[in-house]
Amino acid sequence: MPWNGQGGGGGGGPWGNGPGPWARGPNGGNAPQSPNLDEILRRGQEWLRRFLPGGGAGPGGIVGIIVGVLVAIWAVTGLYRVLPDEQGIVLRFGAYEKTTQPGLNYHLPYPIETVFTPKVTRVNRTEIGLRTGGEGPAVARGPGTRDVPEEALMLTGDENIVDINFTVFWVIKDPKAYLFNIAAPEATVKAAAESAMRETVGRTPIASALAEGRRAIEVDTQKLLQYVLDSYGSGVEVTQVQLQKVDPPGPVIDAFRDVQRARTDQERARNEAEGYRNDILPRARGEAERITQEAEAYKQEIVARAQGDAQRFLSVLQTYKAAKDVTTERLYLETMEQILRSANKVLIDPAAQGAGQGVVPYLPLPDLTRRTTPPPAPANQANQSPSVPSLSPAGASTGGTTP
Amino acid sequence: MTRNLMIGIGVGIVALLIVLANSLYVVDQTKQALVLYFGEPIRVVRTPGLKLKVPFIQNVVLYDNRVQGFDAPSEEVIAADQKRLVVDTYAQYKIVDPLQFYRSVGSDTIVRARLGATMSGSLRRSLGNIILATLLSDQRAKIMTEIRNDVKAQAVAFGIDVIDVRIKRADLPPENSQAIYARMQSEREREAKEFRAQGAELAQGIRARAERDRTVLLAEAQRNAQILRGQGDGESVKIYADAFGQDKDFFAFYRSMQAYQTGLPGSGTTMVLSPNSEFFRYFRSMTGAPPKTGTP
Repeated sequence: MPWNGQGGGGGGGPWGNGPGPWARGPNGGNAPQSPNLDEILRRGQEWLRRFLPGGGAGPGGIVGIIVGVLVAIWAVTGLYRVLPDEQGIVLRFGAYEKTTQPGLNYHLPYPIETVFTPKVTRVNRTEIGLRTGGEGPAVARGPGTRDVPEEALMLTGDENIVDINFTVFWVIKDPKAYLFNIAAPEATVKAAAESAMRETVGRTPIASALAEGRRAIEVDTQKLLQYVLDSYGSGVEVTQVQLQKVDPPGPVIDAFRDVQRARTDQERARNEAEGYRNDILPRARGEAERITQEAEAYKQEIVARAQGDAQRFLSVLQTYKAAKDVTTERLYLETMEQILRSANKVLIDPAAQGAGQGVVPYLPLPDLTRRTTPPPAPANQANQSPSVPSLSPAGASTGGTTP
Repeated sequence: MTRNLMIGIGVGIVALLIVLANSLYVVDQTKQALVLYFGEPIRVVRTPGLKLKVPFIQNVVLYDNRVQGFDAPSEEVIAADQKRLVVDTYAQYKIVDPLQFYRSVGSDTIVRARLGATMSGSLRRSLGNIILATLLSDQRAKIMTEIRNDVKAQAVAFGIDVIDVRIKRADLPPENSQAIYARMQSEREREAKEFRAQGAELAQGIRARAERDRTVLLAEAQRNAQILRGQGDGESVKIYADAFGQDKDFFAFYRSMQAYQTGLPGSGTTMVLSPNSEFFRYFRSMTGAPPKTGTP
């Protein structure tokens, strides 16, 4: 579980579950094709030879060789490898001796020296308020995650409750301090993070925590957490505090969502009203324009007609002045002619009534109106003599000019 | 002879090893040691490394010298405003005086129990003086410092230094949480209602203004229209007057003629005429002279 922040985080940690430091030496000896290994063996053999005169014959020699081989094997257990993401911390009889860099290194074999190789570049992860099943991106909330309500629910500054999940990312800044100053780094980071988050959220109002205040909460918590961990001399550097989820608690989440819906309802009502406005106002402007244009048209029409009428009158007047009587007579006759041509006419001579009274003209008015469409034949006959007015009773017409 | 010598040497070596093993001890970087002389502490070893002691009569107790965490169990505390709180605290401490530690408590289990009791008492005292709102403010750090100093002072007696006491959780008990949920819910409902009502308010306002604008727009258009029509009428009257005023009699005649034509349309008009009218004057005489007798 290389990326699980909960267990075995300090891979090289002396009291973690991982491979203990004591098992480390022989493992280090497995390092293949190392020139150092041969050299050490050779040196060991030379050293042995000096102490065992006689070149190895006889029982004493055999014991010497066996002892020599054992010593050499023992010496070889001091080889260890520091991986690129690690640092080696060498202890001599439990006391800090030195820090070694990545590569193949040697320490005096157990029990004289021991080594720890904490992973100093690895980013550890401590999750609070949720447990993820395993690997995966930090923000994904897959099926493997589950909430831990007693960690996630916290009081906000205005005595509301908010449901927060967050993750702390941290690295080992000072391996020596990390190994020797605090007993349980993981648990310490977790407890301090929880405390710092609650302190920060405890002075933030819920509205801010749910919206724009998230970033500030992250930053403040990180600062506070770093301060607390530094005060323990933990050798831990907090690289990031990331809020995963900030929600209202389950029982009231619907009410919060309803507020969101209410906001959109408000927007919608406004948009609809503006839509209505945008619908009627242009129409009204069009209507107003129509009214104005109609009036303008009326004005121009009536003025034009007046000008036309006036001009016509003036033209006639001019000619009238040249020959007043004739023109008057002509106009009168032409008008009468025109009127009488198409009208129904009844001529009653008062002289025919005798001495002023006798015949009372009876006018069947409805009949007269019914006979409004007389056959045009007499009129046609009348048209054959255009210059002389016809005297036929059916109708009178001339082909002369009509005004 | 040589065999006995060999055995003697062997026994000697074994004895030496035993003695050596008993007089050497390792103090790890993470530890500190207390050397006891028949159970009586005589010195403290704080530096790590390989150490010597008198074999058999002295023995060594090792204590951790790292910062250790202690999670106190949850406690229900009553704040000054009678609000009940479930508080979780943790402490970070370090054994600084192994001698005192050995004498007063002796083991991690016991020191934790004592520390727990101390923290609980201190917590109750501190939180009993403040109201919940204070805890939910910038004052929280100050309160924690206060508790820490209190615990720290008392823990000196155990040979430990309390580096920090922090409140991890300070929540309301579940039954109070329900009340808070109810309050939060009602607050949100109030807010939602307000938003909806504001929406209605806005919408009504916009609609009403739009309708007003429309009415005004049309009314102004009507006004302008009437003004234009009036101008047109006026202008035409003036034109007519100017033209017709030049000869009033002729105008009366001319206009009458026009009116007869348009006023008495083609068919459908029945006229009862007398042959004595001016139009028929040639009926009577070729000269068109008026008749000597009869009614005109």
